[in-house]
Amino acid sequence: MKLALDEYAHINSPIHRWETRSKLIGLITLIFAFAFVKTLHLLPAMLLVTALLYVASRLPLSFLLMRLRYPGYFLLGVVLLLPFLSGETVVWQWGALTLRQEGILATILITCRFLSIVTIGFILIGTTPILKLINAMRSLGLPPLLADMMLLSYRYLFEIANDLATMQQGMRLRGFRSQSRKGLFIPNGQELRRLASLTGTLLVRSYEQSERVYKAMKLRGYGAHSQPLLQSTAAFHLRWEREAGSVIALLLMLLVASGFVIAEVV
Amino acid sequence: MHIPDGILPAQVCIGGYAVTGLATWYSLRHINRKKDPTADIPKASLLTAAFFIASSIHIPIPPASVHLVLNGLLGTVLGYYAFPAILIGLVFQAIILGHGGLTTLGVNAAMMGIPALVAYHIFQLRDRFGRRLNDRWFVGIFSFLAGAVGLGLAAIVFFILVITTIPSGFDVDVERAAIIGLSLAHIPLMLIEGTFTALLALFLLRVKPALLNIKSEG
Repeated sequence: MKLALDEYAHINSPIHRWETRSKLIGLITLIFAFAFVKTLHLLPAMLLVTALLYVASRLPLSFLLMRLRYPGYFLLGVVLLLPFLSGETVVWQWGALTLRQEGILATILITCRFLSIVTIGFILIGTTPILKLINAMRSLGLPPLLADMMLLSYRYLFEIANDLATMQQGMRLRGFRSQSRKGLFIPNGQELRRLASLTGTLLVRSYEQSERVYKAMKLRGYGAHSQPLLQSTAAFHLRWEREAGSVIALLLMLLVASGFVIAEVV
Repeated sequence: MHIPDGILPAQVCIGGYAVTGLATWYSLRHINRKKDPTADIPKASLLTAAFFIASSIHIPIPPASVHLVLNGLLGTVLGYYAFPAILIGLVFQAIILGHGGLTTLGVNAAMMGIPALVAYHIFQLRDRFGRRLNDRWFVGIFSFLAGAVGLGLAAIVFFILVITTIPSGFDVDVERAAIIGLSLAHIPLMLIEGTFTALLALFLLRVKPALLNIKSEG
């Protein structure tokens, strides 16, 4: 499991230089505008905007392909099922297997929408350090409790993943392996109990660590004035002279996004 | 059990965000009523991370394997922190693994988080049955129910959303039959999730009752 997000967050590109708050608003608006798209002739435009943004972000293609591997399974499911199940107009038939027009169109729509939205999402994540992102969300009104929780859980994600890997290795070294092949569809009770203990140990370890973390944080003054970890930066105002590019990019995104929504409604 | 981007129409996504916003507000209101709301933040955060990692553990069911949702367990362990925890866990699953999605974040959080709150209340119900709080049977039975109901509710919402919104030529009756059929097919998974939750709750009761908000015996 590859957890690190910030791998390419420090390249220099127009999208990387884009100020975080306006980038967040701009790209999220665009994502939602894409979710509105239902007509097929808007799809090429949608894919084009996505591709242009990806090229502008200078993220390597391998970044996207690696991250698309997991959601790709879902896509495969849609492509394999929908054209055969959904719709009435039969395009092609072979025995019980029928290819239906409505299903094919729905598949194309879902696939394109999915790819565009996911890619824009990864552009947002790939070009912004996670701390900046949480800070931006905080200054846009994310409750402090959520921001603190996000920050802390992201911080400990890696350690807990290591914990689990170590424990699983330990289990294997002591001879645990998935063996039951006899009872089809019935999980082995003993195995289930061991995995429950494994999960439980993981939770107990995290809990005990959290108590140490809390004490350390309290010693440094956390919670004294119910102050959150991240101070919200001053209200959302951008300085024109320094951030002109960011504002223009934001306006451009809002324009493109409303273009898609208007084209869809009209 | 995650709805990915691109499947649901924007209206449903926005509706999901509205419901999630409401549920978050409700949870935060309960959390802020505590004497020191920040005291439990590290615990909730680390357990959020632990649940995120734990959901990658596969349970072998020959010939395949499933991975658990654990939302019922989250509810029993974290109480009202379960909703923010699930919301954050889903954000990370969406941005790190590409599992779920950003537009469907609201829908997914509501789908798994509200059943987690229900599971929490189910687990708390055992207080009504006599005073022997630490009775292993009560903990076992109610955590089983919490786990099973948590997953079951999420599965029902999932199928209703996916089947009614995917553009298809099916009529209403076929869709309803599909929803009922697929939900029934999830009963074995509910049993497994419930059993796993119960085993885990009993483990925690033995090893670290504080995690279940139960004072340790003696």
